[in-house]
Amino acid sequence: MIDIRDLRKRFPNGSEVLRGIDLVIGDGEIVALIGRSGSGKTTLLRCINFLEEYEQGEIRLDGATLWYRNEAHGRRVRMREREIRVLRQQMGIVFQQYNLFPHMTALENVCLGPLEARARPQAEVHELAHGLLARVGLGDKTGSYPYQLSGGEQQRVAIARALAMRPKVLLLDEITSALDPELVGEVLEVIRGLVAERMMMVIVTHELSFAREVAHRVAYLSQGRIVEIGPPSEVFDRPQDPTLKDFLRRVR
Amino acid sequence: MLVLLLKGALATLMLAIVGICGGTALGVGLAGLSFARIRPLRLLYRLYVFVTRGTPVLVLALLVFYGLPAMNFALGPYVAGSIVLVIYGSAFFAEVFRGGVLAIPTAQLESGRSLGLPPGAFFRKIIAPIAFRYALPPYVNVCVMMVKASSVLSIISVWELTLAAREIIERTLQVFTVLGTAALLYFLICFGVDRLGRRAERHLMHRGFMGERA
Repeated sequence: MIDIRDLRKRFPNGSEVLRGIDLVIGDGEIVALIGRSGSGKTTLLRCINFLEEYEQGEIRLDGATLWYRNEAHGRRVRMREREIRVLRQQMGIVFQQYNLFPHMTALENVCLGPLEARARPQAEVHELAHGLLARVGLGDKTGSYPYQLSGGEQQRVAIARALAMRPKVLLLDEITSALDPELVGEVLEVIRGLVAERMMMVIVTHELSFAREVAHRVAYLSQGRIVEIGPPSEVFDRPQDPTLKDFLRRVR
Repeated sequence: MLVLLLKGALATLMLAIVGICGGTALGVGLAGLSFARIRPLRLLYRLYVFVTRGTPVLVLALLVFYGLPAMNFALGPYVAGSIVLVIYGSAFFAEVFRGGVLAIPTAQLESGRSLGLPPGAFFRKIIAPIAFRYALPPYVNVCVMMVKASSVLSIISVWELTLAAREIIERTLQVFTVLGTAALLYFLICFGVDRLGRRAERHLMHRGFMGERA
């Protein structure tokens, strides 16, 4: 379970990106974050695994506070790098631009985390990685370098790489936004497969029909706040907030 | 005459290899210093590069060869010459590597961070290989420069191609033939270095780098 309380963040230029986010994500729950660009949804996702620091608020994973600790006299300090590293291993993130390591084959990309961060034995990791790549439909491309793969294939490798760490939660940051329309389907298909496994997921997406299909709850963000949250049927079919109504009209 | 020049060329090649290897090793360490968390170390790095890069090789050579003995620290010309090349090269190499690290896209650093890789693995598997690829063209550049910089060492009586040429000229007075041949030999060494660099680049392209541009 992820428990986010009163999360606030400013960019260095002083503008407030997140103005008090409260969000609880249950085990096996899939939450989709939607909203206009600049609404803070990607920043929220990146705060969860601490690619972005935040000034206020708390994020807990299964009860344990992440990233900052409060000292006795109330001062808030960043955890040590070593602690941050171990906590990050419990989360997988997939980026909009895939972000594969260009000098590694698909297999090496997937193996890197378990081998180096988890120090698992090579034979076990290879078996795991072959299995994951086969599962995302790339069993025949394990030796390919990223430049030899299409966008959709690269993104599927990135998903396998995230899964290889056996994360408690999967964070997906607009994973189909950089893809050609005809490649979107194959990536979403992989995610559908994970839904059946009750993997906890936070999905930032512009694919509203996909959000409706897989998400248990949809959160609409506007100006750094969650303005509306609920099951897809409510948020999409009976929106209350005028800016959400407007947003849905524009996107459709 | 040609035999003597070829021997000189061989000596030049050896000096360049020593300078390049030593300079690279020192340069890697220095580049690491430039990313140190402790500010004084970063300042130390900048000072080193500033001073070393701002000193002509000739002055550096004279300083090491004549300056150190004055402090009761005498060195033979070959040792002194090697030290000069290593020091001189290290500042340039360090900047080349620093540039390579700075060129690594944030995206790949974030990928590595989100996997929770320990610092050692992060450096070995991500920083070093990617930075090296970006640094390769300027790295070859500095290597070629090192070959030519070694000619200055003739002034501190390191016997290499330039000194060999001067000796022959003193005996034969065939200025243009001898210097022309020496220049050709320098060119051939540099050409070889360049070819090696190109080969490394091509090799890395097949290994997934610059793929989209290959």
